[in-house]
Amino acid sequence: MTQTDILSSEQEDLRLLRESARTLFERAGGSDRARKLRDAGGGFDAEMVRELAEAGVFGVAVPEDQGGLGMGLAAGGVIAEEVGRVIAPEPVVLTIGLSLGLLRRLCPDHPKMAQLIGGEISLAVAWQERGPGGAPADATCRYADGKLTGGKAWVVGATGSQGFLVVAEQDEGPVLVLTEADADGLVIDKRTQADGSSSGELSFSGTPAAELARGDAVQAALEEAVVDTTALAAAELVGLSGRAIEITLDYIKTREQFDKPIGSFQVIQHRAVDLNVMCEVAQAGVRAALAQMDSETDPKVRTPIASRAKARAVTAAKKITRDAIQLHGAVGYTDEFDIGLYLNRALVLSAWLGDDTYHRRIWFEAREAEGAAQ
Amino acid sequence: MTDWNAMSDAEFRKEVRQFFEAEYPEELRHLPHRPKFAEIEHWHRKLHAKGWVAPAWPAEFGGMGLNAAKLLIFYEEQQRWGVNRGRDMGVQMVGPLIIKFGTREQKDYWLPRILSCEDIWCQGYSEPGAGSDLANLRTRAEIDGDDFVINGQKIWTTMAHDATHIFMLVRTDPDAPKKQQGISFLLAPMDQPGVDVRTITTLSGETEFCEVFFDNARTPRENLVGELNKGWTMAKALLSFERIFIGSPSLAQNALGQLESFARGRGAFDDPVFRDRFAQAALDVEDHAALYARFADQLKRGETLGADVSMLKIWVTECFQRITELMIEAAGPDGGTIGPLQVGNVSVDVLSSFYKARPTTIYGGSNEIQRNILSKAVLGLPG
Ligand SMILES: Cc1cc2nc3c(=O)[nH]c(=O)nc-3n(C[C@H](O)[C@H](O)[C@H](O)COP(=O)(O)OP(=O)(O)OC[C@H]3O[C@@H](n4cnc5c(N)ncnc54)[C@H](O)[C@@H]3O)c2cc1C
Repeated sequence: MTQTDILSSEQEDLRLLRESARTLFERAGGSDRARKLRDAGGGFDAEMVRELAEAGVFGVAVPEDQGGLGMGLAAGGVIAEEVGRVIAPEPVVLTIGLSLGLLRRLCPDHPKMAQLIGGEISLAVAWQERGPGGAPADATCRYADGKLTGGKAWVVGATGSQGFLVVAEQDEGPVLVLTEADADGLVIDKRTQADGSSSGELSFSGTPAAELARGDAVQAALEEAVVDTTALAAAELVGLSGRAIEITLDYIKTREQFDKPIGSFQVIQHRAVDLNVMCEVAQAGVRAALAQMDSETDPKVRTPIASRAKARAVTAAKKITRDAIQLHGAVGYTDEFDIGLYLNRALVLSAWLGDDTYHRRIWFEAREAEGAAQ
Repeated sequence: MTDWNAMSDAEFRKEVRQFFEAEYPEELRHLPHRPKFAEIEHWHRKLHAKGWVAPAWPAEFGGMGLNAAKLLIFYEEQQRWGVNRGRDMGVQMVGPLIIKFGTREQKDYWLPRILSCEDIWCQGYSEPGAGSDLANLRTRAEIDGDDFVINGQKIWTTMAHDATHIFMLVRTDPDAPKKQQGISFLLAPMDQPGVDVRTITTLSGETEFCEVFFDNARTPRENLVGELNKGWTMAKALLSFERIFIGSPSLAQNALGQLESFARGRGAFDDPVFRDRFAQAALDVEDHAALYARFADQLKRGETLGADVSMLKIWVTECFQRITELMIEAAGPDGGTIGPLQVGNVSVDVLSSFYKARPTTIYGGSNEIQRNILSKAVLGLPG
C-alpha cells in the first residue's frame, strides 16, 4: 500500500465510526435526550453508556493489547464530535481521555480498565486544587497509610461516577489512588454547571483509598492524559458548533420578518457565512491536530498541538453559539429552543481544561521554548 | 415642593447619593435578576413617600420634574449604588405616553396609580410573528358597545406574570392600506377572564418573560390612549426616549466594576493579556460615556434626539457583552458554574451577568435593526 492508500483507508475507518456513532445518538433521541436528562437532574443514561461501550467507544484509543480498539485519538475525536452534536451528557471524553488515559499509561492490567471499556463503571479524575483566591493552585491533597486528606476541585463527572482516580501527594512525590464514591470521609459539594451537569468539589478526611501508581510516572501520565482530553474536548466543541450552525440555518431560512425569511437579509447571510467559515477552520484544525498527536510521542510536541486545537475550538464555539442566539432573536433566549443548550454546553466545555486565551499562551510558550532549544 | 433644578449639580448629586446610601436596602444592591414587585415593594414605598418614583415626570403629575442634566445625575447615582430600577415600565414607558397623549381623565386616573404601584404594568408590543417587524402585529381590538374586545397573543412580555395591567399595540383597523396604519395604543387590565398568562423559561432557567393570550378579553373604550388608529406614531415617538435610556452606560459600568474587583481577587491582572483586554473594555466604557454625554447635552439644550442615538445602544450593549465575557474568562475553570463565586469579600455571579447581557442586543430594537436605521437615516445609504 502507498502512503495515500493507508491514509484513505484510515479515513474510511473514521467515516464508518462517525456514522455508527451518529446513528447511535440519533436513535437514542439526539439533543432531546440531553434536555430530558438535564431536566431529570443532570445525570446520564446507563443504558446509553452500555450501548456506547458495545460500539467500542470507550476503548477506541486504548491499544488493542490492552483490550481496546487501538484506533487512536483521531478516532476519539470523531466520537467526541458526535457527542458534541447531540450534547450527550455521558462521560465519553472524560473516560477516553482522562480515566482510561491515566490507567492505560500507569496500570494497564488493573481490572478497572476492562470495566471502564465495558461501560460498567465510570471514574472521575480528581487532580486540580483551588488556591486561596479560587484560582488553580499546587496540590496539597495528601495520601498516607492508605488514607486521603485535603481536597480537590473541578471534578467533572463527580456525580454519577462509581469512584475517583485521585492524584495526591505523598512524601516520595505524586501518587495515583482509587477511592470509592461512597467512601468514608469523602464529601462531595456539587456545583451546578450552565448545562445542568455538575462539577464536584471534593474533600477528604481520612478517606480510604488504594494506591495504583506512584512517582514521576504519575505526573507524566497525568500531563499526557490532560493533553489528550484537551484535544478531545476541542473535538466535542467542534461537533457542537457545527450542529449549532445547522440549527441556526434552519431557523433563519424559515423565520419571516418584513415579509421574507430573515436569512434573505444580507447582513444575516454574511454573518452565517462567517460562522460557517469559522467552524470549518476549527474542524479542519482540530482534526489535523488529533491526527498529528497520534503520530507523535514527544509531550513537548503534543502539548502545543492540543492547545492549538482547544484554543481554536473554544474561540469558534463561543462566537458561533453566541451569534446563533442573536440570529434567533428572543426565541434563542428561551429554554424551549435547543440553541440555548448549545450555548450552555459551550460555556462549560470552554471553561474546562483551559479556555482559548489560556491555550494560546501555552502554545506560544511552547513555541518560544522550542525556538530557544534550537 | 423642592425645585431640584434650582440646585447646583453637585448639591443635587450629594442629596441623591445620601438618600440612596442611607435608605436603599443593602441586600437589594446590584440585584442579578429582575425582582418581583413583592421583593422591592418596601423600597418602592420609601421612594414614593419621598416623591422620587418618577424623576422625569413633570412635578404637576407627581414627578420630580428634573431637567435632563439632573435626570442624568439621578440615574448615574442610582446605577452607582446598584439601586434596582424596580418595576418601572409604568414610569418609564406608559406614564410618559399618557402624559403626552392622554386625556385629563386618563392622567388623573392612571398616573397616581403608577406612582403608588397600585397598578403594575407590562409592555405588550411583540407577537410571535411581529418581532423586529413590529408593525406586523395581529392582535385585534374591536369596539363592542362601551368596550374594546381583544383577541390575539403577545409574547416576550417581561414580568407579565407580576403585572396588573398591560399597555399594548393592537390592530383596530385590519383593512388599513399600510400595516403601520390601523394600530392603536390600548391599556388593559389583566385580571379578567380571557387573559391567560404563561411564563417562558429562559436559557438561564429564569422565568422573566411571558406569553399573554387574549380571548375576548375586554377593556373600556376610555382606555384608548391618543387617537384611534394612530398608535404607531405615538409608540414611535416614545422610542427615541427609550433609546437613550437603553443606550446609557449604566449596565456596562456596573459590570465593569464587578469585573475589576473579581479579576483583582482572582489575580487575573497578573496576566498582561487580560490587562489589555480589561483596559480595552474600560476605555470602551469611558469613551461611550463621552458619546452619551454628547446626546445628553442635546437633550439638555431641549433638542430632540435624532436617529443617530441608535449608535449608543449598539456600542454599549456590545461592550456590556464583552465585559461579561471577560468575567467568564477571569473565572477560569469556574467559568461554567452557576451561582455566585466568592473571591475575598466580593461575590460575583459571572454567568448571571453573562446571561443578562445576551438579550440586550436583541430587545429594544435588535442591534441589526439599529444598524439598518443608522445606515439609512444617518449615512444616507440606499436600500
Ligand atoms: C429578554 C427580553 C425581554 C423582552 N421584553 C419585551 C417586553 O416586555 N415587551 C415586548 O413587547 N417585547 C419584549 N421583548 C421582545 C423584543 O422586543 C423582540 O425580541 C425584538 O423586537 C426582536 O424580535 P424577535 O425576537 O422576534 O426577533 P426577529 O425579529 O425574529 O429577529 C431574529 C434575528 O433577525 C434579525 N433581523 C430581523 N429583521 C432584520 C432586518 N431587517 N435586517 C437585519 N436583521 C434582521 C434580528 O436582528 C435578529 O438577529 C423582549 C425580548 C427579550 C429577549
